[in-house]
Amino acid sequence: MSSAAPSPGTARLAAALSWIGDRIGWEDLSHVAAKKEVPIHRYTVFYYLGGMALFLFSVQVATGILLLLYYRPSATEAFESVQYIMAEVPFGWLVRSIHSWGANLFVGVVVLHMLSVFFLKAYREPREITWISGALLLFLTLGFGFSGYLLPWNTLAFFATRVGTDVPAQIPWIGPLLSRILRGGADVTGATLSRFYGIHVAILPATTTVLLGLHLVMVQKHGMSVPPSIEREGTRGSLRFFPDFLMRDMVGWLAAVGMLAALAAFLPWELGKKADPFSPAPAGIRPEWYFLSMFQALKYLPAKILGIPGELVGVVFFGLVAAVLVTVPLLDRGASKGRSSPWWNRLAVLALVGAAILTVLALLPARGAGPA
Amino acid sequence: MRFVAAAPLLAALAAPLPAQTASTRPAAPVNNCIECHLALDDGRVSPPAKSMKDDVHAKNGFTCVFCHGGDASKDDQALAHDPRKGFRGKPSPREIPELCGKCHADAELMKRYNPGRRVDQLAEYRSSGHGKALAEGDTAVAQCASCHGAHGILPVKDLRSPVASPNVAKTCNHCHGDAKLMGSHKLPSDVYAKYAKSVHFKAREKGDLSAPTCNSCHGNHGAVPPEVGSVANVCGTCHVVFAEQFKLSPHWEAFKDMGLPGCVTCHENHAILKPSDAYLADGPQGRCGSCHEKGSPGAVAAATMLAELTRLDSETRETKAIVRRAAEAGMEVSRVQFELGKADESLVKARADVHLFRVSAVQKTVGDGLAVARKARKDGQKALAELDYRRRGLVVSLGLIALAIAALILKIRDIDRRRASK
Repeated sequence: MSSAAPSPGTARLAAALSWIGDRIGWEDLSHVAAKKEVPIHRYTVFYYLGGMALFLFSVQVATGILLLLYYRPSATEAFESVQYIMAEVPFGWLVRSIHSWGANLFVGVVVLHMLSVFFLKAYREPREITWISGALLLFLTLGFGFSGYLLPWNTLAFFATRVGTDVPAQIPWIGPLLSRILRGGADVTGATLSRFYGIHVAILPATTTVLLGLHLVMVQKHGMSVPPSIEREGTRGSLRFFPDFLMRDMVGWLAAVGMLAALAAFLPWELGKKADPFSPAPAGIRPEWYFLSMFQALKYLPAKILGIPGELVGVVFFGLVAAVLVTVPLLDRGASKGRSSPWWNRLAVLALVGAAILTVLALLPARGAGPA
Repeated sequence: MRFVAAAPLLAALAAPLPAQTASTRPAAPVNNCIECHLALDDGRVSPPAKSMKDDVHAKNGFTCVFCHGGDASKDDQALAHDPRKGFRGKPSPREIPELCGKCHADAELMKRYNPGRRVDQLAEYRSSGHGKALAEGDTAVAQCASCHGAHGILPVKDLRSPVASPNVAKTCNHCHGDAKLMGSHKLPSDVYAKYAKSVHFKAREKGDLSAPTCNSCHGNHGAVPPEVGSVANVCGTCHVVFAEQFKLSPHWEAFKDMGLPGCVTCHENHAILKPSDAYLADGPQGRCGSCHEKGSPGAVAAATMLAELTRLDSETRETKAIVRRAAEAGMEVSRVQFELGKADESLVKARADVHLFRVSAVQKTVGDGLAVARKARKDGQKALAELDYRRRGLVVSLGLIALAIAALILKIRDIDRRRASK
């Protein structure tokens, strides 16, 4: 079989690629990509969660940018602009529904990614910074969810935000100021909407970009972590990241796109009714599912615990949980030395079961209201 | 119908008379009456003393002697009940309105307790069916104590008071539901039973106290049945639009000439049911047929108005079903639903326009409503078509995604195979 001479078009493309490659070090990148490998063992499937989270984040960025073209961040126009996106803008319904469903899926995948990293002890030395940046990215993700929830300016979001922004006010000394800063005033108003919009489209994305960059650099630097048990047993070899692992990643990404499209077509994200600050809070106010456990726990707390306001105890407790979560690699010294850390695992399972029970209790209509 | 409603009388009217002077507020007086009457433990004289604990007059310092006379400072019955001290015992029914009016018709006195309180109750009572009958010597009619009670009188706003708004109809029914008493006055005794079927009663049952009860239409102290010519005015105090339209209609003069009592002619007086479009029809519920013969211009006009209302009603309902289907499928149709609300408004307005009894007026309003409903129907159908398009699009997209996934899997296998063969 004789090789035919390249067509003029192909030759020009090759020349252009070569020109770019000379300037950005294409060959070096190819070299790095060729060297990157993914260990094969019975937990390899969990490696896909990181890529899935990154993909869903990209979907959020892309759909978010499209929504920005029509969304108007003011109390008088926000609801109507989302209504316009859903009813009038070509494929606006699709973009908005994918953004909303994608946000929930993204949070879910990020949580699963973090749990897999936790239980596989991938945070142990030398990957502490990878974990810490990841934990902070989880908080930023929750921040995206909280700030984005208010943006359509509908009744449920308005009152849920009023409850949510009341929580930091329980922190001694700085709490009321923090709540005021979040709200841009004493109560949730149009000023809060502008503020949340700024947080959602500028502050959080900028911070996320920096942290995500650090996170990815750390992942590239240290490669994929192999769980201690597998280290002892040995892996079944490895898989080249490019293109082998990436192509498998893409299968999952395509499936995710299909799922988001189906959800958007069959269950378009509801818009609800426009927020009316002067109307009484409707029944059944609750935040997004990922805040439900905290929401429910705060409801169960008594007014006073050992003379301290119950809500303050709750806020401090959640603050401590967050602090522990971030610093797990520094606290769990056993894992760093390759030993198993069963107590950390039991603690995590206990926390997960507790959060699941509280979430279910919050979702039950009869008991969701909880004690007054 | 003279005593069709035993009108509730304001607590103010039933207030006792300061026997000594009506122009001075009583200073905390000694009151042996209560102590003695309680100690007697007599079924006739003790209960009034017991009930004075919550009495509005007692709370304002008015003791028994202000109505009954006598000397409350004496603990001896003969001295306390001394006629020389003005003791008059139990006032007769004929005396009661004047007795209460001594204070309640005294503007100078009443303003010290409540500057906003009316002082015309006695004058009103004299103009009432009850008052006129009492003046003619009929003591089996309502006077102040009949409605407000004689002792333990509570403010009208107190829900325990027999004349508090939720209790008025039952209080009136004490007498107006008494067949023997009403029979002796040649009055019906089924008024409450009829009222209990009415839309007004049902609204009050649901907690809407703005719906009328007896005194809303008959007055309270000046209770009389509305005259034939004033029925529309009475109904019009709430149903303003209907009353205005009725007065502009040809029926206004015709009813007056025929001695028909306005609104009541079609809607009844006490058993006022929720009206329906069937009032315009020929059937058993039809109202027009009793005056307008079949085929007459009036009957034709009624049939035309009914057809117009039915058209708008059915088209609006059909459109709502279409829009609801789109909304339930998750389509954003809140603007369409809002617009469709205007068709409902047109239907309400067209039903009000019926009281003009002019076909052209009803047709114009129905036309406005139909235009709205038809536009909403188009938008609703568009939303359903869009829904269908989305789902077909989804099937195509999912097919393409499945193809891409299949291609990727094949490629992965191919790579794996080639690597393995190396």
